[in-house]
Amino acid sequence: MDSFSSPSSGSSSQLSAQDFMGQLKTQLAQAYAEEFLETVRGKCFDKCITKPGSSLSGSESSCVSRCVDRYIEATGIISKALFSMQR
Amino acid sequence: MDPSALNSPELQHFINQEKEKAMVNEMVAKLTTVCWDKCVTGTPGSKFSSSETSCLTNCAHRYMDMSLQIMKRFQNMH
Repeated sequence: MDSFSSPSSGSSSQLSAQDFMGQLKTQLAQAYAEEFLETVRGKCFDKCITKPGSSLSGSESSCVSRCVDRYIEATGIISKALFSMQR
Repeated sequence: MDPSALNSPELQHFINQEKEKAMVNEMVAKLTTVCWDKCVTGTPGSKFSSSETSCLTNCAHRYMDMSLQIMKRFQNMH
């Protein structure tokens, strides 16, 4: 992790705890997003590109769009289901 | 950052909170991939059918039931 840095406007070279937490949050969010993207790529490739041709066909790319939407929706359904369990 | 700041209660609280969030996140992500494979069998449509939706909900619930059962089973082993 090389990107924890003090804000350039700060007079001291020390990173405050506030800045540290803020940057950690940003980096975590980035990591979560990357991981999610990687999962969606895998799932939608399996579903939509069953026989890779010389280019991405129209039906494949519309399948991919739907697949991405459904995967996001599925994530919402699952997290709702988990939270409704803690009654 | 002053290294001693790592021991500050504020930072510890923050880290614990983020740890918990990461665990929940991981759980949701894991269950989504498992249940997606089980419940979304055809090519994805423009909306989920009601059977797909209830399969996803049931899948999450049953996975948690099963985890509990397995945990109990292992606790009884020694």
